[in-house]
Amino acid sequence: MSNTTVKQKRTALKVAKSSKTLNVSSGVFRVNQSITKTINPSISGKSFSSASDSKVLDKSLAQTPKHTVFDEHGQDVTPHPLYNPDPGVLQPKQGKIFPAHDTSWTTVTDFPSVAFQTTNASFTGPFTKSFFGSVSASRTSQTTESVTDETKDLLVKPDLSSSLSDVQARREEVKEQVREDIIDRVVDSYLTETETIWLLDIPAVSVSEDSEDAEAVKERNKYVERSMQTFNDAPKTKEVQSDSITMVDKAVMSSTWDMYDSFCNKGDASENIVVSAEGKKATVPDSSSMNHLLNPSGPDQSMSVFSTTSTVSGSSAHLEKMTCVLPVEEEPDLELILQSDKFKQDLAVMERVVLANIFQPKLAAYRQLPVIEDPDCVQTQIEEESWTEQSKNSLSPFLEHLWVFKCELTKGRNVSSMTWNKKNPDLLAVGYGQLDFKDQKPGLVCCWSLKNPTWPDRIFHCESGVTALDFSACNANQLAVGMYDGTIAIYNVQTTEQTPIIDSSDCANMHACPVWQLRWVDHDTGLAGEDKGEMLISVSGDGRISKWIHYKGLECVDLMKLKSPNMIVNNQRWNPKILSLAPGLCFDFHPNDSKVYLAGTEEGHIHKCSYSYNEQFLETYKAHTGPVYKVTWSPFCPDIFLSCSSDWTIYLWRQDLSKPVLGFTSGQKVVFDIMWSPHCATVFGAVREGKVEIWDLRVSSLDPTIVSVTNPGVNPTALLFTPETDCVLVGDSEGQVTVYKLKNLPAGDSTQVEALEDVIRTTLSSKHTLGKTDRDA
Amino acid sequence: MLDIECAGAEVEETIKRIQSQKGVQGIIIVNAEGIPIKSTLDNSSTVQYAGNVHQLLMKARGMVRDIDPQNDLTFLRVRSKKNEIMIAPDKDYFLIVIQNPTE
Repeated sequence: MSNTTVKQKRTALKVAKSSKTLNVSSGVFRVNQSITKTINPSISGKSFSSASDSKVLDKSLAQTPKHTVFDEHGQDVTPHPLYNPDPGVLQPKQGKIFPAHDTSWTTVTDFPSVAFQTTNASFTGPFTKSFFGSVSASRTSQTTESVTDETKDLLVKPDLSSSLSDVQARREEVKEQVREDIIDRVVDSYLTETETIWLLDIPAVSVSEDSEDAEAVKERNKYVERSMQTFNDAPKTKEVQSDSITMVDKAVMSSTWDMYDSFCNKGDASENIVVSAEGKKATVPDSSSMNHLLNPSGPDQSMSVFSTTSTVSGSSAHLEKMTCVLPVEEEPDLELILQSDKFKQDLAVMERVVLANIFQPKLAAYRQLPVIEDPDCVQTQIEEESWTEQSKNSLSPFLEHLWVFKCELTKGRNVSSMTWNKKNPDLLAVGYGQLDFKDQKPGLVCCWSLKNPTWPDRIFHCESGVTALDFSACNANQLAVGMYDGTIAIYNVQTTEQTPIIDSSDCANMHACPVWQLRWVDHDTGLAGEDKGEMLISVSGDGRISKWIHYKGLECVDLMKLKSPNMIVNNQRWNPKILSLAPGLCFDFHPNDSKVYLAGTEEGHIHKCSYSYNEQFLETYKAHTGPVYKVTWSPFCPDIFLSCSSDWTIYLWRQDLSKPVLGFTSGQKVVFDIMWSPHCATVFGAVREGKVEIWDLRVSSLDPTIVSVTNPGVNPTALLFTPETDCVLVGDSEGQVTVYKLKNLPAGDSTQVEALEDVIRTTLSSKHTLGKTDRDA
Repeated sequence: MLDIECAGAEVEETIKRIQSQKGVQGIIIVNAEGIPIKSTLDNSSTVQYAGNVHQLLMKARGMVRDIDPQNDLTFLRVRSKKNEIMIAPDKDYFLIVIQNPTE
């Protein structure tokens, strides 16, 4: 009964609440404890609870008859239940399912069905199952679910309903009477829609395309952050194992010159492609290590070794290249080196270096450098003695022996002439040849260098003895050689070729007799017209002084024929057409005036000639009684010249005087050679048989200042002063050229020209005073 | 061939001349990898000289070229108390002469 009453009451209420909202279920979870507990477990998540109704229902359950509702008028408006079932009749299962306080509540998940079921509950009374079904169908889209749920519930609950019915049996009896009244009554039920209760209002995020705002929304949607989610496939772990990687450390030191070398060799065609590829890596120091390369093993590795050489430092590159070459050729290695030009050069330099070590003190003395003692040198007793000896004599002038130019080749040959190179003051040319007509042997010309006194730099073999030499001033490498057979040859000393540049043997006009003197004369000064430049002038035993021109072979033009004056003097009726020429032995051009020259003959006459006038002599000086071996102008005094002869005398002349000013004799020895000192006007040197003399006219005009006696049997035959230093070279008949240093000569700052002139003046004045007691020397 | 022979003879002569100079103790010709190919000294000394000189030469040359890569070493002289070692280096060889000039 309470059931029905409750139901009735609830109908009205329920109808009011016919909404889909959750409000109903908001208060839902107050469970009517007593009943729900019994029912709950079997039902899928549904719990029976009641809202505010439940309180009312509870009350009504417990005290239904007691509770009455009165309205304002006092009328009993207690709601009656709509449905009063017979207590004995088995309630249709629907009804039993919904006990008094039976707002069936489902869990939140099933709330539509909850709502549905609550309404169902309210309609159990008069309505049939079919109605329920229809109602349920119209309600929500989830009806099918709920119907099945409901049917489950219906099926589940027969026991419960029966138990419920028992409980409610008494109550139903009480309410029988009431029921009858109610049945007859027509009840009007009004179904109205309650106002909409908004439980949740989430504005729509999307707008239909047809709406007015569509455009605006599209505009706004232009820049919209979007995110995408890619499909994340299931990850899978994979493992790979490789062979162990062998690591090798490599490094190289690249130095400045190594990079320079690689850069220079980059375009070298001789390198193979591999090398060039490697070469590009040279700048990056990651090429093979030095240690790795130092042990090349076998030819199969040779290529790799060779290819990496360019990347390694230059020195080891050479090392490795040689390593590669070595297994292939070993023998020619030595030969190649020995024959290379570079090696010869190096050897020559080495030789000079070694000799420089040996001759260092001598060379220093020669070059007037302070002679420094070798600090490691251990002086022996003998050296000390000789040194002290010299130091005792240090006050008087003497010739200090420096060294000797000699070698195997020159042994036994007579030194006939010596000359310095005009350009290189260290180069000396020495000609070897016999001066006598007997003992003639092939001549030799040696070019010695100061840096190597033990072996000449150049050796030229000549067919006949060399009698005259001269270096050209214009072309410093040309050496003119005059020989005993009259041939004149010009050699180029830059090469080691044995053949001369030019030879006069083809010339028709060549000398028939030995060429006794050669000179390159520069005619630039003061000559007009032709004959400019340097010319070779020779004097020969056939009485001619010739000028040689190098034009398609040597051609000569006679400058002068040395006519024998005796012919003219002795016999004027002599047929002048037959000329006899006196052999010329020497000549000398005036240092200032290149047109005038002196010529000395075998007859003892000295002729002064002019270049442009080849018919007659300008002047003749007669004093010597023997062949004049040398005539030489003083380099300082323009009027003075010296002459020496085999008549044991040396004469000093002044060119305006037909008689010599001074005569020098010391012993009865032939004078072979004389030469003025290039430094001091009063000094000259003379070479006699067995003696070397240095005369200084300031000191004495009667005796030589220095006399150096040579070894017995050896005759000095040539004399040469050095243009730069105060040394003198003496060549002798044994093929030796000795270098002496003039020591302790009274040195003067000036060239002592006045001194010489003073001497001459005094001499002349004394002669004058003496008057005719002077005799021609 | 004649030229080569002459050249070889000339070289031999020069070496002999150097050897005969005063104070010269020995001449060694070493190829580029440091192996002596000709020597007038005994074997052990030769090998010693060759090895040590080679290292010194590399160092000296490296120094000269480091300062100016276009420059190159042309001659090296080492003066010691007892003697002087003169070295003429080249790309393919080097020539060593040991001399005691004060003998």
